[in-house]
Amino acid sequence: MSVVTDIIERVRSIIFRRRDERELAEELEFHTAMEAAKLERRGLSPAEARRQTSLALGGVERVKDDVRDARGTRFLHDGQRDMAFALRTLLRNPGFAAVAILTLAVGIGGTTAVYSAVDAVLLQPLPYQQPGQLVRLYYTDVRRKEERGVVTPVHFLDYRQSMGAFSSIAALFLYSESGADIGTGDDVRRIRILPVSADYFDVVRVQPSIGRPFSRDEETDAPAVVLSHALWKEQFGGKPSAVGQSLMMNGRSFTVAGVMPDGFADPLAGSVDAWVPGDLRPGRDPNEAGNHYLSVIARLRPDVTIARAQAELDQLGATLAQRYPNARYAGARLDPLKEDIVGDSSKPLEIMLGAVAMVLILICVNLANLLLVRGTDRAREFALRSALGAERRRLVRQTLIESLTLALAGDVGGIIVAYFAMKAIVAIGAGSIPRLSTLELEPRLLVFSLVIASLSALGFGLWPALRAARTQPGDILREQGRSATSGGVQMRLRQWLVVSQVALAFVLLVGAGLLIASFQRIRQVPLGVRPEGVLAFELHLPEARYDSIARARFYETVAGRIAALPGVVAAGGVSKLPATGDFNIWGTQALTGPLANLDRGNIAGQNRVVSGRYFEAVGISLLDGRLFDEHDDASAPRRVIISRAAAERMFPGVRAVGQSLTTGGGPREIVGVVADVALDPQGRSGEGYVYHPHRQFAGDRNWSLVQVVRTTGSLEQLQGEVRRLIASLDPQLVMYKPMALTEAIGRGEAQRIFTLRLLTTFAGVALGLAALGLFGVLSYGVRLRRREFGIRMALGANGGSIRRMVLREGMVVTAIGVAIGLLGAVALSRVLASLVFGVSTLDPRVLASAAVFMALVAGFAAYLPAHRATSVEPSSVLQ
Amino acid sequence: MAGEPGELLQGTLEMMVLKTLSLEPMHGWGIAQRIQQMSNDVFLVTQGSLYPALIRMKRRGWLTTSWRVTENSRRARYYELTAAGRRQLGLEQASWQRASAAVNWVMNARLVPDGGRA
Repeated sequence: MSVVTDIIERVRSIIFRRRDERELAEELEFHTAMEAAKLERRGLSPAEARRQTSLALGGVERVKDDVRDARGTRFLHDGQRDMAFALRTLLRNPGFAAVAILTLAVGIGGTTAVYSAVDAVLLQPLPYQQPGQLVRLYYTDVRRKEERGVVTPVHFLDYRQSMGAFSSIAALFLYSESGADIGTGDDVRRIRILPVSADYFDVVRVQPSIGRPFSRDEETDAPAVVLSHALWKEQFGGKPSAVGQSLMMNGRSFTVAGVMPDGFADPLAGSVDAWVPGDLRPGRDPNEAGNHYLSVIARLRPDVTIARAQAELDQLGATLAQRYPNARYAGARLDPLKEDIVGDSSKPLEIMLGAVAMVLILICVNLANLLLVRGTDRAREFALRSALGAERRRLVRQTLIESLTLALAGDVGGIIVAYFAMKAIVAIGAGSIPRLSTLELEPRLLVFSLVIASLSALGFGLWPALRAARTQPGDILREQGRSATSGGVQMRLRQWLVVSQVALAFVLLVGAGLLIASFQRIRQVPLGVRPEGVLAFELHLPEARYDSIARARFYETVAGRIAALPGVVAAGGVSKLPATGDFNIWGTQALTGPLANLDRGNIAGQNRVVSGRYFEAVGISLLDGRLFDEHDDASAPRRVIISRAAAERMFPGVRAVGQSLTTGGGPREIVGVVADVALDPQGRSGEGYVYHPHRQFAGDRNWSLVQVVRTTGSLEQLQGEVRRLIASLDPQLVMYKPMALTEAIGRGEAQRIFTLRLLTTFAGVALGLAALGLFGVLSYGVRLRRREFGIRMALGANGGSIRRMVLREGMVVTAIGVAIGLLGAVALSRVLASLVFGVSTLDPRVLASAAVFMALVAGFAAYLPAHRATSVEPSSVLQ
Repeated sequence: MAGEPGELLQGTLEMMVLKTLSLEPMHGWGIAQRIQQMSNDVFLVTQGSLYPALIRMKRRGWLTTSWRVTENSRRARYYELTAAGRRQLGLEQASWQRASAAVNWVMNARLVPDGGRA
């Protein structure tokens, strides 16, 4: 009971402090007045009465102080006073305050920004109901379970029918970016569409906010469309009457079935403008058990674990193996959807967080160092205050509050830094790190930054504070800064702080160095193409106006006309740009040769459809036979060109040209063999490529070939010329996503670039801080040892030897730091392993360069203090 | 004397304040006067000990305060006992009486000649 009133009273005193103070003053004034009146009644003059009263009652301020003590909120008032004092102290030394606050702002802001990314990408659950039930389904090789591939329609339909563990399962036709042209005339623009199976909306548990989802009857390429909220606003002005109306896409009329709620994003594709029913008609594709192109997600029943679902899936796999003996697989594996989406990006993000934390620690060490210097300068102040009766506790608190004041000021700056850093992270990371778009400076993050700031204050302030507490007033006041060796212990402490800075900076340098080395390695990976000087862009031909014959003709015409532009070497088109990933992996069987119709003669062929002079345009060299020409048209027998790897696998020991194989629904004659092309920028090689001439394959589907143009001139200029050329051929066509081929291939590397940029930034900051620390400690050392240097010089030492002494000291500190950092790099090598490509995490070249770099910077930082040491005038210190 | 009041003194002051307020609600100066009068000028209660004591007692829930107008029509803060304050007064009075009686016995003790001494 009384504890409660006590707390209430204290809290009340905190809240109503001003009123309390006013009332206390009034109360005491009343008391004094009454006392004086009493004395007056005894015959004293009013003035005399007041005087005697004051004498009798003692100082009013003292009473007030005692009353404040009694309120139990003393610590707050003192805290406030200490804070004001801290501010004054800091303002007296604006240079120090500015350095401290700015570096803290960088550290706190950086940490907050990186944490925000980690939070958004890794920690936040998927924005769907019961996200834990969502799984991704991949086909897998029963012998190599780590393999993950997209699914065939026949397997998907069997999973949908038989799997009891799933409450729903959906297929997304994600295998290529699907676009559609909407609008007419000059208004044509391309939007992102995603064909999905009907149960998609059940799996994500988001239904259209108006209208209806698709039904399974519509999984026949039915002309129905569900719009995104944004497209609905744009095309129909946000009117509910849009449902039932028609929308022209690719020149074909679709009926609007529904509109998705605002903010809905596809879990795998992200922002999608419209959803259409995917075509799942059985028998649509003659090779349907061998064609993999469905991305499958499913929702587990509430009581089913992923392990149980996997067991059921394994059982089903055995049945499927018998049902489709010619399928390439029967196994499938489940991954939690979030894990699947976050995928490889978790490691870089975690490393980033570690790196930025290291930078923050460095900053704190730096500040601790600076505070220690100030502590020495202020030792006399503290000693004096201590001698005058200030409590130790008070002095510690005072110092800590100074640190806290700094940290809070740093936090304010840090929030500003975080705001811009988050924008930068989103900009750099977009496209390579999923879920980054949800990044926002939320209140949670402000709290986080405040916690970080307070921890930093404790981190850099505690040591100086404890030193202040250990002040021996007598010693310091006696010393008067006379001794030549004063501060020796502290000097050693500061040197160790710098050692730790060098170590941290070295680890970051090694990390950045490894990434740069990886990058160089990747650049050196032979991709089998020469992407420099090649412009790539998508060119979609709406089916309504272009049937397969027209498409076949048009793509060849475009290639030919572009080739005639000045500077153009060759132009062509392809269904998937080289080195940008898997695409149309179809079972491919040798029909002739030693492995004819044998299992060993069957490969997972990477099928590509090409037009124009694709091979010359991207720089794939012909090894045997010939390239496609105008005779390889619909009237001729079906022909293909295969890559060397495919030739060696399917036709070992014989000439592949002239042999035949079957893929994509029928037999093909091989007319040429070309060089191998990597599947991604890391140089991954598949089982081989099969290239089809578009002239013969246009009828299969609308391939929306990506056009590639090799030029000897500038890409920008070419882009303008090509745009005008296309407009002259068909003004309604869109030259979509033009970019350099190097950029298109590099996009697969975006994540590594993201990490590289951030890590090199951190390493640079760390290096600067370590240099600053070294500079500081050496300068301070020189200042302390002025007398010693003076004596040495008086005794005949020359400037060079003095300079070497200081430099050597700096190098020793650096060497110890590098040695410790080396141990750290070894300890962290497992973590770094996920970032590197083609180099060992302990690559001696990288480690040596980092060490040399560190030493150079350290030498630079040490030079000025060393130089200053030689400028000591012996006479000035020896007087 | 600026020294802190001893444990006993502080406790005694609080008891006397409680006693004073048990008669009627009173402002700070009035309490001091009343104690001075009732103790025949033995206890001079200073502001420095009175007001902190009042605040502490309020924190313990023994007192409530309110601003009222005095008979001289000046505004003053009046202190009033709560039920808890009354209970506390009872407790303190009882223990004080025990303690002062005990102190009196001790102080009035005489050395009685020991008859058993041979």
